Amino acid sequence: MMPLVDSVHVLILVTCLLLLGSSRLGACIRTVAIQGIVAGGVLPWVSSLHISMQLLFTGVFVMALKGIVFPVLLSRAMREASASREMSPFVGYGTSLMAGVLFFLASLWLGAKLPTPDGVSGLAVPTACMMVSTGLFLIIARRLAVTQVIGYIVVENGIYALGLAVAHDIPVLVELGAMLDAFVAVFVMGIAIFHINREFDHMDSGRLNVLKG
Amino acid sequence: MVLLLVAPAVAAGIVLLLPSARAIMRFCAMGTITTATVAACCAWRTFAGGSLQAGEWFRMDMLSAWHLVLMAGVFSAVSLYAVGYFSKELESGAFSRGKAARYAALWFGAMDAMTVVLLTDNLGVMWVGIEATTLLTAFMILTHSSPASLEAMWKYLLMCSVGVALAFIGVILAAASAESAGLTGAQVLSWTHLLDAAGSLSSAHVKMAFIFAVVGYGTKAGLAPMHSWLPDAHSQAPAPVSAMFSAFMLNAALYCVLRSLALVEAVTGSDGWGREVLLVLGLVSVLLAAVFIVGQRDIKRLLAYSSVEHIGLIAVGIGLGGAGAAAALLHAMNHSVAKTLSFMSAGRIGQAYGTNDMRRISGALHAEPLWGTGLLLGIMMLAGMAPFGIFLSEFLILKSALEGGRYLLAGALLAGLVAVFVGVMRHAIGVSWGAHEGIVRNVGAGWLDRFLVAGAILVSLVLGIWPCSRLWHVLEMASALTGGMP
Repeated sequence: MMPLVDSVHVLILVTCLLLLGSSRLGACIRTVAIQGIVAGGVLPWVSSLHISMQLLFTGVFVMALKGIVFPVLLSRAMREASASREMSPFVGYGTSLMAGVLFFLASLWLGAKLPTPDGVSGLAVPTACMMVSTGLFLIIARRLAVTQVIGYIVVENGIYALGLAVAHDIPVLVELGAMLDAFVAVFVMGIAIFHINREFDHMDSGRLNVLKG
Repeated sequence: MVLLLVAPAVAAGIVLLLPSARAIMRFCAMGTITTATVAACCAWRTFAGGSLQAGEWFRMDMLSAWHLVLMAGVFSAVSLYAVGYFSKELESGAFSRGKAARYAALWFGAMDAMTVVLLTDNLGVMWVGIEATTLLTAFMILTHSSPASLEAMWKYLLMCSVGVALAFIGVILAAASAESAGLTGAQVLSWTHLLDAAGSLSSAHVKMAFIFAVVGYGTKAGLAPMHSWLPDAHSQAPAPVSAMFSAFMLNAALYCVLRSLALVEAVTGSDGWGREVLLVLGLVSVLLAAVFIVGQRDIKRLLAYSSVEHIGLIAVGIGLGGAGAAAALLHAMNHSVAKTLSFMSAGRIGQAYGTNDMRRISGALHAEPLWGTGLLLGIMMLAGMAPFGIFLSEFLILKSALEGGRYLLAGALLAGLVAVFVGVMRHAIGVSWGAHEGIVRNVGAGWLDRFLVAGAILVSLVLGIWPCSRLWHVLEMASALTGGMP
């Protein structure tokens, strides 16, 4: 047992359930910020035995990005579209939470299937899978464009955590490139939301449905 | 080779300093052609003398050289075409210096990202490159800002970002599989090292990695059922961008799938598991595209669904392996030529008629002789008419399916192709002949445009008629890199 690491994993799982159950956009943005800090910064520090300079550096970088830059960008996008702060979901919150529980069970099953290397907590892979499935669910089940970006960030967090759990040797250059891409993706999506909002007076992606067939 | 990676980035910077839209578009064409020439020379050296290596991260072998040739051709032709296309838009005020600078900078950026994808030896860098193409090209769809193009851009951005993010899980799993083989550092993500150590990789990890790679890169390549962003993006982007998307960007994404296939084939000892996955997805793409093509009304959406069909065919060919895989690579070239021609012509005809709705376009052969001919011949090529290249490669893929004893697959494929043929030709006849009603703005055609249309037709004819043994040799060498086949 690794009590500290496991409690961090549990914390991340709780943020996933919070994201599925909360109805306010502001709360969601804060939750995803906390999740980003914990999954991107704290988790690597507590789960590795010796802290290297590289780990310290990427951790700080990720925390700054996911804890400060993304939330600021998202809050700005939210303010631009001041029309609606409710999430207006396609799938209700109760059902979403139930789906979350199912995701967790599926993640545990998957975690048992995928062998983790020695010295990695048994919860590491399930937590990562939980984040990826929660993120995908948010993208599908919520209307607002901002929520879809939040879903994308959660998927990204999950993939980062998965990388941490099963592959230690990913070169720094690749890792930095991937993070840079994620950053630019969120940035570009932010600009897109701005355009959508200006053009349509809403950012309801459920109403972006002209192009068919 | 290093020059290839640096030149587009420099050009993207220079573009921002140029004074007028016309100058920018001319520079864009010249820069693209220069880079493409260098690329073609590098590819030629690879064909003649084997793989080139540049440092630890970059490497060019037959497969990447073949795709590099595709890229050089498509980018050069489209950048030349863009000069004429956008000068028409300038006259109508829909295009400005700012838009031109943004377009050209993104154009060079996308070109650079795709070159990185083709030349890198590293799975991670390849992923970064593909993701970068998504982000760079997203705003190219938005060149004419309209509600529909915003919708298309949002779908493209979200679907491809999320899809490609899933492909990164594949990258991670591939790296995890290398741990049991004792690779370290940058080696865990290097194709060369992974293939060398294929025997000792963990096969469960590699198989999972392949599934994620197929889903992720397949989204970007437009394989059904992950294709739904594609018709929207292709129909809303300006014609040069649609042409580049359809004729090369999809191939670049499929190239990543081919690389993953090589790995999974090496690990499973060529038992065909990975190939079956591609066969199924490819067949689904062909059949699904056939359904949508028959009932289509928008000319650019028609061409977009035709891309889904042809990418599906390429996947089927690769899935068959052996001669089928070589034919699939030839098909990629044929498709790029035909699709570039069709999108170029469709774009100008769209400008002339002021619509992409095929019910309102008729008599194009009379109203716009050059572009009408280009579109008609382009669509005939895409439908698989006889003297052109696509007929030959489709025939070879079907032949390889029959020789492999896969009669059911060949039957289904043939049914799909026939449906596409009928659907597409029905639309093409309606657009080309008949009386044209309403006002048609004459978009005209310069010598450059004539050269482009004639060139594309000629290349397609040559590919269809001239049995060049050297070309076939290159194709066989390149397709062998997608994994051994009994």
